[in-house]
Amino acid sequence: MRATDVFGYSFSAIKLRKLRAGLTTLGVVIGIAAIVALLSITQGLQNTIAMQLEQGLATDTVVVTPGRSILSGAGGQGAGIGATIGGDTSGFKLFINDTATVNAASTEIEDSIAIIQRVIYVHSENRTFAINVNGVDFAKYAEFYGSTFVAESGSISLKPENDTVVIGRRLHDPWKNGTLLFNVNDAIDITWANATARPPKNETYTGYVAAVLKEVGGFSFGGPSDTGVYIPLSQAQAFFGTDECSMMIVKLKSSDKTTIESVSEAIEDAFNGEVSVISSTAVLDILSSVFSVISLFLVGIAAISLLVAGIGIMNIMIVSLIERTREIGILKALGMKSRTVLMIFLSESVIIGLIGAVLGTVLGWGLANAVAVVLSGGGLFQNIGSAQPATRIQSGLMTITPVLTPTVLAGALIFGIGVSVIFALYPAWRASKLKPVEALRYE
Amino acid sequence: MAPVVEAVDLKKTYLLGKVPVDALRGVNLKVESGEFLAILGPSGSGKSTLLNLIGALDKPTAGTLLIGGVDISKLNDSQLADLRRRIGFVFQFFNLIPRFTALGNVELSMSIADVNRAERKRRAEELLETVGLKDRMNHKPAELSGGQQQRVAIARALANNPKFLLLDEPTGNIDSKTAREIMTLIKRLNEEKGVTIIMVTHDQHLAREAKRVVQVFDGVISSDMVN
Ligand SMILES: Nc1ncnc2c1ncn2[C@@H]1O[C@H](COP(=O)(O)OP(=O)(O)OP(=O)(O)O)[C@@H](O)[C@H]1O
Ligand SMILES: [Mg+2]
Repeated sequence: MRATDVFGYSFSAIKLRKLRAGLTTLGVVIGIAAIVALLSITQGLQNTIAMQLEQGLATDTVVVTPGRSILSGAGGQGAGIGATIGGDTSGFKLFINDTATVNAASTEIEDSIAIIQRVIYVHSENRTFAINVNGVDFAKYAEFYGSTFVAESGSISLKPENDTVVIGRRLHDPWKNGTLLFNVNDAIDITWANATARPPKNETYTGYVAAVLKEVGGFSFGGPSDTGVYIPLSQAQAFFGTDECSMMIVKLKSSDKTTIESVSEAIEDAFNGEVSVISSTAVLDILSSVFSVISLFLVGIAAISLLVAGIGIMNIMIVSLIERTREIGILKALGMKSRTVLMIFLSESVIIGLIGAVLGTVLGWGLANAVAVVLSGGGLFQNIGSAQPATRIQSGLMTITPVLTPTVLAGALIFGIGVSVIFALYPAWRASKLKPVEALRYE
Repeated sequence: MAPVVEAVDLKKTYLLGKVPVDALRGVNLKVESGEFLAILGPSGSGKSTLLNLIGALDKPTAGTLLIGGVDISKLNDSQLADLRRRIGFVFQFFNLIPRFTALGNVELSMSIADVNRAERKRRAEELLETVGLKDRMNHKPAELSGGQQQRVAIARALANNPKFLLLDEPTGNIDSKTAREIMTLIKRLNEEKGVTIIMVTHDQHLAREAKRVVQVFDGVISSDMVN
């Protein structure tokens, strides 16, 4: 029998049992969709990280935060994470003028800046948002983050007025649909809950939006963020009534690993180990490996769901084999070879697998994009809800563009068809072994 | 030329659970090319069993069966399939495929034999016209009467131009007028094209149309006469 006739025959058999074949296909669709969605999101995430490493994130910087590193002695790479999560327990404080100590710690250091960070509230219409405000030296910050501390609208003055405010892109257009929250020249009331005053009270000043930053995307680590608010360092000192800084950004002369490690150690030594130093590359490394592990785990679960779909295929094939015993008897009596009977059953599973894989890929791709929209669109509010001063990685917010690589595409097709065919092998083999007379007598 | 069929002490025992049923108990039969043979016998005597063996649909329990000089018990699966394509077989119970139309059923046996699409269609239409079903070609078996289904089955058996035609009660479900038409067709195939024919029947009158009548009784041949 010719290959096209085999396929035509299989197709006519599937058409006869549309509902059943549809449900079987659905199993494959779900499995493939889950795998494609997960892999394309993971790939998108990795691309975001890679892009950040290339441009947005200054790889030649490290961040110094007060508090002993839990993994003390482990060196600069990633050692600070523990402290960041564990928080400041020693009572050690970093002050703005400690930048001098930092700058003197190593000849590999170009410069450093102090950041005062607090959670503040801003009001718009009848909503209140909790946001991280960063008191920074605008001139130095712009120099450190030349590619991201850049105005999209308005302008960033290097000698700002006290009431100058620069806002992240997402405070301008949080829903990405043209409904604007704050625009250039808008007044913005910044409220701080002063817990040290007796009794505690809210303090407010009115600033003016001088600039909206262009979209940064991805992770920001000490650097400009889409959800950040930036005010002059002097204003932060006056408003919050403190010289204590939340973190320092240190710019190095080189971004290679050994420099980062040696400088990290030198800075920790300069403060007797009372600070932790994290490089942005280390954070990204950790994040990306954590995501890889999680996505691998999820892909594993998705693969199991595909196996379940495979068992479904086997089940429907066995039922179909029993129902069609007589038909197979006729085919064999007419001179069809066992091999052709096998091919007919296998091609039925190929058709189911192919349709399932194609639909699953399309669905998975849609799913990945929907998840990406949720992650970036809903991000502002998620972030606000969890904004804590102790979280020094400023944003868990991500801009992910899912990516469907040819490998994933081909893999989905091969996997979908492969699983279907493998589970159809046994029923197909049994069908091919039927004896004509016995099959013909089957009622 | 080797005889078309040569059966020597042919036996077939079915196992119904653990109970053996001797359907054939030593059949000796020789059929030469171009013969037209009718097999008569009461129900359950083993007629279908014998025809199935001759059609290479089943293997004997004992004895030898040569089809065209070839011992069928020595053929492998693929060779048996090839042999079946060269034998036209009309089943007692039609055995049409329900989801295909009359045309589709006739085409199927040609598609199994690798005939191309255009030729299949042309020949299937021609055959259905021959058996008088020109206006029923696009009907499915469920939409056809018993006699019409039987005629589709005959058209299908003739699709690959067999030199050897086996018919199991081909007129069992047909009114006598149509039955006569079909007999005429079968006789013509035998006389004009030299097709060897073995036909199982209950009907004494139809059996008389054949050149040779074999009586089967309780799994053995009880008489073998030339008309
Ligand atoms: N597959 C089978 N398994 C068990 N017994 C069978 C099988 N096929 C046939 N038999 C038995 O073998 C005997 C002969 O059956 P067969 O079908 O050859 O009879 P038949 O002469 O064709 O009868 P009919 O005229 O009713 O068609 C019967 O007793 C039948 O019950
Ligand atoms: Mg019978």
